[in-house]
Amino acid sequence: MFREFLFLELKSAFKRPMVYIFFFIVALLSFFAIITDSVTIGGSIGNVFKNAPIVITQFVSALSLFGILFAVAFFNNAALRDYNNNFNEILFSTPISKASYYFGRFFGALVLATIPLLGIYLGVVLGTIMGPLLGTVSADRLGPLFLETFVNNYLLFILPNMFFAGVIIFALAVKFKNTIVSFVGAFGLIIAYLISGTLLSEIDNETIAALSDTFGLGAWSVESRYFTPAEKNTISPGFSGIFFINRLVWFSVGMVILLLSYLSFSFKEKLGRVKKQTNEAIATVVSFTKPVVQITPSSWLNFKSFFKISFLNIVKSMVFKVIFIFAFILLLVEIIGGYEYFGLKSYPLTYIVVDMITGSTGLFFVIILIFFSGELVWNDRQAHINEVINATPHKSFISLFAKVMTLVGVAAFLFFLFSIIGIIYQLILGFTDIQYSLYFLEFIYDFLPNYLFFSIFFIFVQVVANHKYQGYFISLIFTVLLEIILSAMDISSNMINLGGSPSLSYSDMNGFGPGFTGAMWFAAYWLLFGGILLIIAGLFWVRSAGGSFKTRLKLASVNLRNGNTIPLGIVCTLWFATAGFVYYNTQVLNTYDTRDERELISVDYEKQFKKYENIVLPKIKEVTYTIDIFPESRDVKAKADLLVKNESNQPIDSIHYNYDEEFPPIISIPSAEKVFDDERLGYRIYKLNQPLMPGERTKVKIEIDYISEGFENNRGSTNIIKNGTFLNNNAIPSMGYNSSAELNDKNDRKKYDLPPKSRMAKLFEGDSCTNDCMTNYLSDGRSDWVKTETFISTSSDQLAIAPGSLVKEWKEGDRNYYHYKVDVPSQDFCSFISARYEVGKRDWNGISLEVYYDKKHDYNIELMLDALESSMDYYIKNFGPYYHKQARIIEFPKYATFAQAFPGTMPYSESFGYIIDLEDTTKNNVIDAVVAHEMAHQWWAHQVVGASMQGGTMLSEAFAEYSSLMVMKQKKSPLEMKEFLKYDFNRYLRGRGGELDKELPLYKVENQQYIHYGKGSVILYALQDYIGEDKVNLAMSNFLSEFRYKAPPYPTSLDFIRYLEPQVPDSLNYLIEDWFKSITLYDFRLKEATYVKNEAGKYEVTLEMENRKLKADTIGNEVEVPLNDWVDVGLFKDSEGKELLALERIKFNGNMQSYTFTVDTIPAKAGIDPKRILIERVYEKDNFKTVELVDN
Amino acid sequence: MATLSINNLNKTYPNGVKALNNVSIEIENGMFGLLGPNGAGKSSLMRTLATLQEADSGSAFLDDIDILNEPAKLREVLGYLPQEFGVYAKITAEQLLDHMCVLKGISNGKERKELVNYLLQKVNLYDKRNKSVKGFSGGMKQRVGIAQALIGSPKLIIVDEPTAGLDPGERNRFHNLLADVAQDVVILLSTHIVDDVHELCSNFAVMSQGQIVYNGTPNDAVSQLKGKVWQKQIEREELNTHQENFQVISDKMVAGKPIIHVYSEENPMNGFNNITPSLEDVFFVKTKLNLTTETV
Repeated sequence: MFREFLFLELKSAFKRPMVYIFFFIVALLSFFAIITDSVTIGGSIGNVFKNAPIVITQFVSALSLFGILFAVAFFNNAALRDYNNNFNEILFSTPISKASYYFGRFFGALVLATIPLLGIYLGVVLGTIMGPLLGTVSADRLGPLFLETFVNNYLLFILPNMFFAGVIIFALAVKFKNTIVSFVGAFGLIIAYLISGTLLSEIDNETIAALSDTFGLGAWSVESRYFTPAEKNTISPGFSGIFFINRLVWFSVGMVILLLSYLSFSFKEKLGRVKKQTNEAIATVVSFTKPVVQITPSSWLNFKSFFKISFLNIVKSMVFKVIFIFAFILLLVEIIGGYEYFGLKSYPLTYIVVDMITGSTGLFFVIILIFFSGELVWNDRQAHINEVINATPHKSFISLFAKVMTLVGVAAFLFFLFSIIGIIYQLILGFTDIQYSLYFLEFIYDFLPNYLFFSIFFIFVQVVANHKYQGYFISLIFTVLLEIILSAMDISSNMINLGGSPSLSYSDMNGFGPGFTGAMWFAAYWLLFGGILLIIAGLFWVRSAGGSFKTRLKLASVNLRNGNTIPLGIVCTLWFATAGFVYYNTQVLNTYDTRDERELISVDYEKQFKKYENIVLPKIKEVTYTIDIFPESRDVKAKADLLVKNESNQPIDSIHYNYDEEFPPIISIPSAEKVFDDERLGYRIYKLNQPLMPGERTKVKIEIDYISEGFENNRGSTNIIKNGTFLNNNAIPSMGYNSSAELNDKNDRKKYDLPPKSRMAKLFEGDSCTNDCMTNYLSDGRSDWVKTETFISTSSDQLAIAPGSLVKEWKEGDRNYYHYKVDVPSQDFCSFISARYEVGKRDWNGISLEVYYDKKHDYNIELMLDALESSMDYYIKNFGPYYHKQARIIEFPKYATFAQAFPGTMPYSESFGYIIDLEDTTKNNVIDAVVAHEMAHQWWAHQVVGASMQGGTMLSEAFAEYSSLMVMKQKKSPLEMKEFLKYDFNRYLRGRGGELDKELPLYKVENQQYIHYGKGSVILYALQDYIGEDKVNLAMSNFLSEFRYKAPPYPTSLDFIRYLEPQVPDSLNYLIEDWFKSITLYDFRLKEATYVKNEAGKYEVTLEMENRKLKADTIGNEVEVPLNDWVDVGLFKDSEGKELLALERIKFNGNMQSYTFTVDTIPAKAGIDPKRILIERVYEKDNFKTVELVDN
Repeated sequence: MATLSINNLNKTYPNGVKALNNVSIEIENGMFGLLGPNGAGKSSLMRTLATLQEADSGSAFLDDIDILNEPAKLREVLGYLPQEFGVYAKITAEQLLDHMCVLKGISNGKERKELVNYLLQKVNLYDKRNKSVKGFSGGMKQRVGIAQALIGSPKLIIVDEPTAGLDPGERNRFHNLLADVAQDVVILLSTHIVDDVHELCSNFAVMSQGQIVYNGTPNDAVSQLKGKVWQKQIEREELNTHQENFQVISDKMVAGKPIIHVYSEENPMNGFNNITPSLEDVFFVKTKLNLTTETV
């Protein structure tokens, strides 16, 4: 009989869609997590496969928390089904055993509740198979799958967690017989778990923490913390260790609760709480007379009534509620946890909140639309009310249209609810600058057209397929697979991709962006198409007893002739007209290359022109730019007048140019002929009538126009826009062969028979670098130090900025003109910007500090000027003079998120610094950090720049990041700096894991960001802690003195090390080898910290440590090396670790080490490398321990 | 005065079953009963008349509305309660009836509200009007169905097996409801409960295997059988022999022993008594024996 109930439970659930939907959602999430990087539920770190056992375990454990929500649906149903269907009395009076009933239902629900999470397995397996096929993840990032992983995760996570959650929910449901209580209970369970998780993470005693973890996530992370990459790729959770004990403990607790709940359950109705007698007015026999009614059918009223009924049907359904709660939770997580840079969040500007909403809930909208399209079309039939409805005189089209609008209405309703949450969030944070209308506008422009079209589409599919699950299947294929198929067929036209449209991204500076016109036309195109689909659906709508597709087709044509031809004709005509216009704009007026076409262009370009890679070309010595910007029409006319010189010792007989084939330039060189022009690949050769002899100069004039017309298939250029135009000198074609146009992916290169590409030239390790160092990595040999001036103009309501001092500004007609001149010959690296700006200025020692910002982003201007000032001050004192007369920070729209340094000019993205919330001044000040970083580049990259080889970027990026840390250090204590360093640490450690090629030691870095930013800054910072800030700065300053503005040969990282060595004492010489020339990682573990009071009344604190030093090779294999290094050990006064009681730098010698302090007071905590400046394998808490009284 | 004329309606299902076989009836105002066993074709006929099913050939007219070719026009004056009537799960009775009112063309909100209240009270559901119909018993759902069939001023009301699942009180109430309306409307009531026809209908037809095997008044039907229905009480073991030798039209149990009715032109002797035929006997005679309308 137990089996009877168990199977009944299972059978009835399998007949309903809920279990399949949940399974599918989970499978989809897991699938995307494997094949892309845009869904992260844990993810792989450190040469770990994307589908490694540890990653799968992470998915399972994390999703099992969300699985609790699924569990509610199943357990609640199981407990309440008989009550809800009024069957309980019949059932309970039969001779069934209480145990069979209770446990049969329970375990049936348990099995069901574990099914959705099995979706992870499907997603992972599919992702592993399809990832490489789709090309989104390369095969070497995926490893073998082990059956053990799946089995163990089921037995150790899925089953026990669903069991425990189920026990609680089932008990609640049986006791309170109220679905809402069950939901609230589940919700509460999740919240309580998360809160207890944060509390437990503070606890020192790992064992207690691990055992108290209800769902096992923390216990498992303790167990797996020290896994090496190899172990992560093979080891699955096992039936051993503290983790297994945790599972047993909580399983037992669950059993106890289950038993208690069972014992208190009874078939008899307990008339516990007698409901208050609502004094119903003793039925005064109400008598109504039959009213006289007018029959005036109204399609509008029909529509409204259909809409109301359908809407209520959806919103009250269980599936909707669960999906809503799921989406709501994800949104909350996103809102609360969304951090940006260095642990800070930006002010909750409205567009950011909207982005958060759509980012986290997007998937659920799709699910709701698809699922409920089927429900709506089949609702009448499922409720057996269809015959009655069909026998009323309404037009089928109206009923269908109402269904479409219901879907749209539900989506709009959800969006509205989420917007309210967003607004509440903004208000809670004290942000009152809320752009309410933006929520509405984003909905109208960005989402409504899409929802509307897809609502129509899904309904259309359901009506024509006339079979709910086939309809779902077809809908899914079109949404999920269509894009994949189209991309495989290399079709990227938005006219074919269902619902496709240029992307809209709202920027405070530039509104909805350059894609707006296109998006509106595409919206019209798709909506008119939807209109056609809807009319056809109306024709097919089954009102009388259904039939085969043929019969319905016949019926449809009959319906068509009955007065529907004209409307259909009108919509078709409108659609064709729109389609024609869209086609003209996106395929004729503005062409684009598909992905495959671009690939072929790159391949052909390399195959034909790489032979010219090393030809001798003249170098640019002087340039005058003339840039005319027309923001309203989004046009730019650009000219460059160059003076070039032959700085080689050979004559030059021709000058080559590469250009963007969409914008062919006019290039004029005196006494030269254009002898070759490949218009498809963008390459030209000009032959000089007389060869240019060594030392000789000539002029080159380039004219190029960027004119935008109509609208494009995609968003279009985000560089030339109505407000916030941002061009750099890439806008002007450059000389010679451009190796960055080559294909980078090694699999693609193999496909086309191209030789493997080396990331960068090898570091020259000989005595003095000459020929190999003649080019720097920024200008790639086209120029060295260039005299630059710019004449730039824009419309009268905007400001135009180019590098250099403003020599003159004037008006001509209704345009503004500016003349800028760079104060000192600099890198040929220019930015041309135009927008409506406010300006904040400050004069500092004859240098003009300027911040250009959008009127709406005035939050942090003074802070930015302060940051400019303090960094300028530090750098001039420590490194050397600043040669420009201005330092500018300029805001540009958020289409790109970066900040960059040009000579004297630093553009910053809108979403980067201007809107960071720095109200809490105790936290990290990211503005100081980022401003200081870019300012530092004025020295490191713009006064001295590395040769184009390994290690080159260390001299700019690592130095700049280090410099900004030092500026921060002026205002913070060493322990406060720890918080800051943490981010650079994590950047390095995370980046190591994502390394696709090979990691390299710092001095050979190949432009890898995690090394030159993350590792480089930490190493230099640690260095100054060991040898002294002034020594490191002196080394850098001396290095700078030799190479400042110097003609080539350019310096290498070894040149810097040459200046560093004299500053390092002999005892610390090993640091240069370990930190710069190898990949060195430490592993410190404080096993025990005890104290004892000695006779003198002082406290002797002993630390027992287990330490290791490892060196890694380029692919992550680590080898232990002897430890003989100086490391800090320390004691903290407080348990937060914010105040040091004692600090000693001692020599670590071998693996086991102990050290004893003698101090006056009892310390709270002890730690190894308390300032956290040494790079460890894993950034963990195991360096610290609470100090305890020694027990005998 | 409205007239429903059905002429030579034919319908064969794709699986070969001939559901309607040359059905022709003429029905006027009042209650018309359609009696027949399950599978006789009653529901097919009902659905066809309710514009929800196509016929292969034939015609049907309500006055001058061509039902088969102008379904929209008929729907404007139609009230329909199908055999299988369900409801939306989470909607209240009031909301459901209001929706039906709108669909039937009652645009004035106030009028709708009054009508809904009136109907709910008529079917004794007024105090449950705000409850979601999900929790209604079968009888309550049926009452909602009846209420919606009466919305507006339909000229043709088709009710298919309406009293199945109603208790005697409810059934009575339902009959009274229909009787109230029957004066100016054609009500086509199909059922296999003979008593319903007996109580309510002035005219009725018997349908069997897609054909009309009788069409007339209950009294005429009964008098046609006068003297030809015989009754006998027998032992259980005798049943088979009797079935072989006589045209047994029904066998019921009384106090555990079968009482059979047989049809015979002359006295069958053997202990049979002549009885006054009931409508039930008419029903059995028409449907069990292969007798056409002409012979009776």
